[in-house]
Amino acid sequence: MTSTHTPPHVRLANEIAAQFQRRDPALAAQVIADHIQSFWDPRMRSRLIADAGVSGSGMDPLVVAAAALLPPPSDTHTELRPL
Amino acid sequence: MSLIKEKDYGTPARPGEATVAVEIDGKTVTVPEGTSVLRAAAEVGIDIPKLCATDNLEPFGSCRLCLVDIDGRKGSPASCTTPVAPGMKVRTQTPKLAELRRGVMELYISDHPLDCLTCPANGDCELQDMAGVVGLREVRYGFDGENHLDEPTDSSNPYFDFDASKCIACSRCVRACDEVQGTFALTLEGRGFDTKIAAGAGGTFMESDCVSCGACVQACPTSTLQERSVVQLGMPNRTVLTTCAYCGVGCSFKAELRGDEVVRMVPYKDGKANEGHSCVKGRFAFGYASHPDRQLKPMMRERITDPWREVEWEEAIGYVGRRMLEIQSLHGMGAIGGITSSRCTNEEVYAVQKMVRAAFGNNNVDTCARVCHSPTGYGLKQTYGTSAGTQDFKSVDQADVILVIGANPTDAHPVFASRIKRRLRKGAQLIVADPRKIDLVRSPHVEAQHHLRVMPGTNVALINAMGHVVVTEGLVDREFVAERCEDFSEWERFIADPEHSPEAVEEITGIPAADLRAATRLYAGARNATIMYGLGVTEHSQGSTMVMGMANLAMATGNIGREGVGVNPLRGQNNVQGSCDMGSFPHELPGYRHVSDDAVRSTFETLWGAVLQSEPGLRIPNMFDAAVDGSFRALFVQGEDIVQSDPNTKHVTGALSSMDLVVVQDLFLNETSKYAHVFLPGTSFLEKNGTFTNAERRINRVRPVMAPKTGKHEWQIVCEIAQAMGYPMKYDDSSQIMDEIAMTTPTFSGVSFAKLDEVGSVQWPCNEGAPEGTPIMHIDGFVRGRGRFMETVYVPTQERSTRKYPLILTTGRILSQYNVGAQTRRTGNSAWHPEDLLEMHPHDAEVRGIRDGDTVALASRIGETSLRVKIDDRMPVGVVYTTFHHPVTGANVVTTENSDWATNCPEYKVTAVQVTLTHPVATHPAPVLVK
Amino acid sequence: MSGPDETVTVYVPRDSAARSVGADEVAEGVAATAAGRPIRVVRTGSRGMLWLEPLVEVATAAGRIAYGPVAPEDVEELVAAGMLDGAEHRLRLGPVEDIDWLRDQTRVTFARVGVVDPLSAEDYTAHGGMAGLRRALSLTPEEVVAEVTESGLRGRGGAGFPAGIKWKTVQQAESALKFVCCNADEGDSGTFADRMLMEGDPFTLIEGMTIAAWAAGAQEGYIYIRSEYPDAVATLRTAIEIAYTRGWLGRNILGSELSFDLFVRVGGGAYICGEETSMLESLEGKRGMVRAKPPIPALEGLFGKPTVVNNVLTLGSVPMILADGAEAFARHGVGRSRGTQVFQLGGNVARGGIVETAFGITLGELVEGYGGGTRSGRPVRTVQVGGPLGAYLPTSRFDLPMDYEAFAAANAMVGHGGVVVFDDTVDMAGQARFAMEFCAAESCGKCTPCRIGAVRGVEVIDRIVAGEDRPANLKLLNDLCDLMTEGSLCAMGGLTPMPVKSALAHFPGDFGTTTEEQR
Repeated sequence: MTSTHTPPHVRLANEIAAQFQRRDPALAAQVIADHIQSFWDPRMRSRLIADAGVSGSGMDPLVVAAAALLPPPSDTHTELRPL
Repeated sequence: MSLIKEKDYGTPARPGEATVAVEIDGKTVTVPEGTSVLRAAAEVGIDIPKLCATDNLEPFGSCRLCLVDIDGRKGSPASCTTPVAPGMKVRTQTPKLAELRRGVMELYISDHPLDCLTCPANGDCELQDMAGVVGLREVRYGFDGENHLDEPTDSSNPYFDFDASKCIACSRCVRACDEVQGTFALTLEGRGFDTKIAAGAGGTFMESDCVSCGACVQACPTSTLQERSVVQLGMPNRTVLTTCAYCGVGCSFKAELRGDEVVRMVPYKDGKANEGHSCVKGRFAFGYASHPDRQLKPMMRERITDPWREVEWEEAIGYVGRRMLEIQSLHGMGAIGGITSSRCTNEEVYAVQKMVRAAFGNNNVDTCARVCHSPTGYGLKQTYGTSAGTQDFKSVDQADVILVIGANPTDAHPVFASRIKRRLRKGAQLIVADPRKIDLVRSPHVEAQHHLRVMPGTNVALINAMGHVVVTEGLVDREFVAERCEDFSEWERFIADPEHSPEAVEEITGIPAADLRAATRLYAGARNATIMYGLGVTEHSQGSTMVMGMANLAMATGNIGREGVGVNPLRGQNNVQGSCDMGSFPHELPGYRHVSDDAVRSTFETLWGAVLQSEPGLRIPNMFDAAVDGSFRALFVQGEDIVQSDPNTKHVTGALSSMDLVVVQDLFLNETSKYAHVFLPGTSFLEKNGTFTNAERRINRVRPVMAPKTGKHEWQIVCEIAQAMGYPMKYDDSSQIMDEIAMTTPTFSGVSFAKLDEVGSVQWPCNEGAPEGTPIMHIDGFVRGRGRFMETVYVPTQERSTRKYPLILTTGRILSQYNVGAQTRRTGNSAWHPEDLLEMHPHDAEVRGIRDGDTVALASRIGETSLRVKIDDRMPVGVVYTTFHHPVTGANVVTTENSDWATNCPEYKVTAVQVTLTHPVATHPAPVLVK
Repeated sequence: MSGPDETVTVYVPRDSAARSVGADEVAEGVAATAAGRPIRVVRTGSRGMLWLEPLVEVATAAGRIAYGPVAPEDVEELVAAGMLDGAEHRLRLGPVEDIDWLRDQTRVTFARVGVVDPLSAEDYTAHGGMAGLRRALSLTPEEVVAEVTESGLRGRGGAGFPAGIKWKTVQQAESALKFVCCNADEGDSGTFADRMLMEGDPFTLIEGMTIAAWAAGAQEGYIYIRSEYPDAVATLRTAIEIAYTRGWLGRNILGSELSFDLFVRVGGGAYICGEETSMLESLEGKRGMVRAKPPIPALEGLFGKPTVVNNVLTLGSVPMILADGAEAFARHGVGRSRGTQVFQLGGNVARGGIVETAFGITLGELVEGYGGGTRSGRPVRTVQVGGPLGAYLPTSRFDLPMDYEAFAAANAMVGHGGVVVFDDTVDMAGQARFAMEFCAAESCGKCTPCRIGAVRGVEVIDRIVAGEDRPANLKLLNDLCDLMTEGSLCAMGGLTPMPVKSALAHFPGDFGTTTEEQR
């Protein structure tokens, strides 16, 4: 069971990866990366990419592989609005 | 506008190509074979007097007013029960017929109160009309004979009275209950002159099986069955055609008014979704719109612990605009966002997503469809290329097998359920896949051939097993697959694996393999088989997978692209389809086009004069997570009570509590507004001017019967907030918003208010290729080109019963209440469902020492709540069920953070729980006998 | 003559009419009194001479010798007098076949009634039973229909619709499932022939229905019997069980490809369920309410499937038609009324009972000849023919031949063949009022003319009799009768005016009016 202490982006990415466990790992990583690229907000993707390198993140190996395929997200959401 | 009266042709239209020509009063008329003489006459404007006949009921032949003369036939046959025959010559007016008709009316009136002037139906009474039409001038029998004038009135129903003294025993109510609604609650009892209408076994309407759909009231030609609002307020004098704001069926109604006051809502016969039928919500539960609880002025407060203070619009809107800008200046452009409502019009939703994208400058917009049908959008887009159901409702009339999965139409989509039941009574067969023994499984004159009692959370195992049977038993429509689909051979290999066999998954799904095989053969072998599904499919960790699994099954058996087939979501809310269409998702612009598509973005950027973000924004659950971690700090919530309706209440309230600004736009203060800083009063559907899109992609007009009670339309408020943030956004009226939608969105390019006013409604795509809309999709090819088979691996949910939480909780809706109950709880509907109950199998109750009516604690690993138990063997052992209509129940206190892997739609349907007895129902002391 | 050691066979009816006057006690008495002498008491149907019930017959070398009416207390005396040997006695009627009342009849449908043990399959076949079905199964269904059509058999329930035409319609209807339904809801006052046939010769009905099933292509049959006939229900149910064990029902009947299942259903006491569409509703488990026609039951009958609906006497006549050929049946009768009709004499009549005879006999021959005038001994004033909705005919119309068309021309009807006799004390305004009252009580309540009209009819007749504005009320009654005749959904409301108008036409004085005043 996923611990409630697992960060949401890791939990959600692992749930996606669970669907593709039986695929060829390289293909699965690409599908997962495409899905995340299509549907995830950049701040979540940034965290995923950042945590992918950290050991003990609880991340599924397919997620780690997928994270490596993700392009760097834009950071427009963090830009401050000039008043 | 005056009162609209639809023409009544007396008997239903008969389908068919073959026609028959007859001569009626010298006029020749050609009608389909099987048409009654009565209807044929009506087609050429000859209205034969009638009372027991009406064109939504099969002819009955009881009143004997519609007698005619037919050359070569003896006697005076009733034109309602006499079908046309070639060369028939009919006379509808002769002295003899006039005499007979007067004689009939004379009999009727000899047993009827003479109180027309004080009767609530005065002016809207067919009996009164017919007395005039036949020229009744005297009642020679007098009025002292035996009669029914002292019959009592049954006022048990909250909305209508049954005044038996006015009944003419025409049986229209009984037949409407049978034929239109399919409940069979009414009957005729007694013989001869003692014949009377009885509800159930002779008790009151409320004690009977009556579901208060109103069909009987509408069918009644007198004032016997009469809306109490008409008794109290008088006859309405004008009509506004509009659309119901409850479920996704999208029924058309005539709002009948006196001045600005709604006297009654009457289903509109020409409404294509409902064809004159209604349910207890749409027909009667509109009183919330004028409920004193409605907050009509804006309110503000600095902190959520402060008391509210009412303010003027200017102040509230200025404050929201200013704070949004401040928060973005401190925490970034992505720190704010909005949620659109599936209860609001397309135009209102479009305005909100435009505000978010153009004024907020991000894609942090999501809609409450996230928590219901987002997997539908994903799954059907992946497989078929469009995020919507494939059929119109009417299509089910051609279905031979109906597969209902995870839906409970008689409660949640009652008007469509009546259509399904009608089709089933005509011989279509039914398969129900649901853990509960829902009403459709067995109700009067309806019985499912197969009830697949699937364990919650195992839908994908079920659908894979069905796919397996289709592939391994040679039931594939090879021609269809070869011509129309792709990736079939991969899927075939995948699904043929023995691990998907019904025998292999029997333990998982709880469905006997033989039953599953038989059901699959029935589905696959049908000429036309259709799938209807609801939230029992989508609200799972594999909701999207299941949608794709159903899409696979329909393609493999060739059940796509014509009448009577398809894959059809039963949408929960009036405008779920529309809110999704309008670009409410954080990754999609209107028309389901990805934000990364430069061409699409450029269209909007040019029109809107704003730079749009090319990366997806936050989904609702992501917003809560981001709020907790501090990167998301302000939220505009349009008409959705997220605290009551979203899962894991504690997590939601924690997120809202940590935000700097929560703006709620709603009719009533609700659970979410407890965490809000600004409350912006919204408008009810009676005040809105716009469109709703129902589950069959039908765009219906919502017309205002009164000006906004709050002084502003909701889209105006949204525009003003955008303006307060420095973004110019202005429309003169809502039709301009639809014009903008049509201009930017190819599937809507043919839609305008003018078009809808002209044709009634259209189903998108409505454009140059389909100027009158598209009732059925994928006819000659799939929207995405070829239909794509998707591998659907069954991954069990992580939510499982354990020793600590041995039961599975699943949730749903009940007929009389609607979602969080904000509206229906403020109407007479609570007479049927005053509280949410926990339904439990007798065995599960027994082992816990629980009896019917006991109060129990319901606990999951997330939280605990308390409610009363209803012991019911509709439940399977090990599964409990409740509704979430009352905030006090707090059903979502216990639901978890689990969600659909693809769309994050919450897994409401599976929560491991334990139930423990807390307060036994008070036992009454034995009565003391006084001697 | 049989000697003292030989078993004597005594026949005592088990018919409920006979039982109602002590036949059971008589049978027990005979068995008990004959102790010491070997005796076999056979319970038969009734010969139909109801004024002679209980009628006891003793088998002798000279044939069956009849004694009657035998009261239970007469038995001892009769046995002592040598009844078991056919000896003389004041109750001795002689050989039963020689009783002229019976001898003069043409028993076709009732040929075995009173003769055989109704539940003896051996008796049945010994007396010609199953010959009709055997022949039918040797023919094609089309040929069977043709045979029935040629016989001229018309529905005996009242409407007189040609049975062959009805069967052909069902035969030609396309449906995987078809039914044969027997209407045994014999509700008309003064009628009892259906009951007596079912109690006295149930296999005839079963055979007739099976032939109909073969002809029409039906798989299931239902006999709808009114609840007031418990003996008929029990007899038929037992007979059906026996028929199954004999291979006369069920799969591959008599080794043929025909499979047919037959069930008895008991009505709930509504007169209207004798109307065929109401009966079908009732069989479907619904309230007995008339259906509008079209669709006709032959195309959309029971559960919407093509259905043969015929009366007991109609179906009971079929085995003979098939066994002896259409011509043998058609030979009897007059005009378009072919074959025999089972008339039932009742009411105030000296000799009531079953008179099966060819169509064409006059009303007078029936009433005065067979019936012997009134039981009270007073002059006959009127007879009502065809049940409670039939016309009242004065003695001046005793010349009328019993024939569908002749009766229709006289504004009357043969109906189910019931003839109820009244003497000169009858109040015809009261009878007219009763017709309306009956309709009000028994109307299914569907159509307005019948539901409200019948109640108003009673009220208007009361006013006429009371002398209230008589010309206006006579006009109103006349208008009401026209409305009910023309406007009612079924024959119930449509025929109720017949007794009313006939009473008014023939006996205006009873209403305080004259023929002239009515004009």
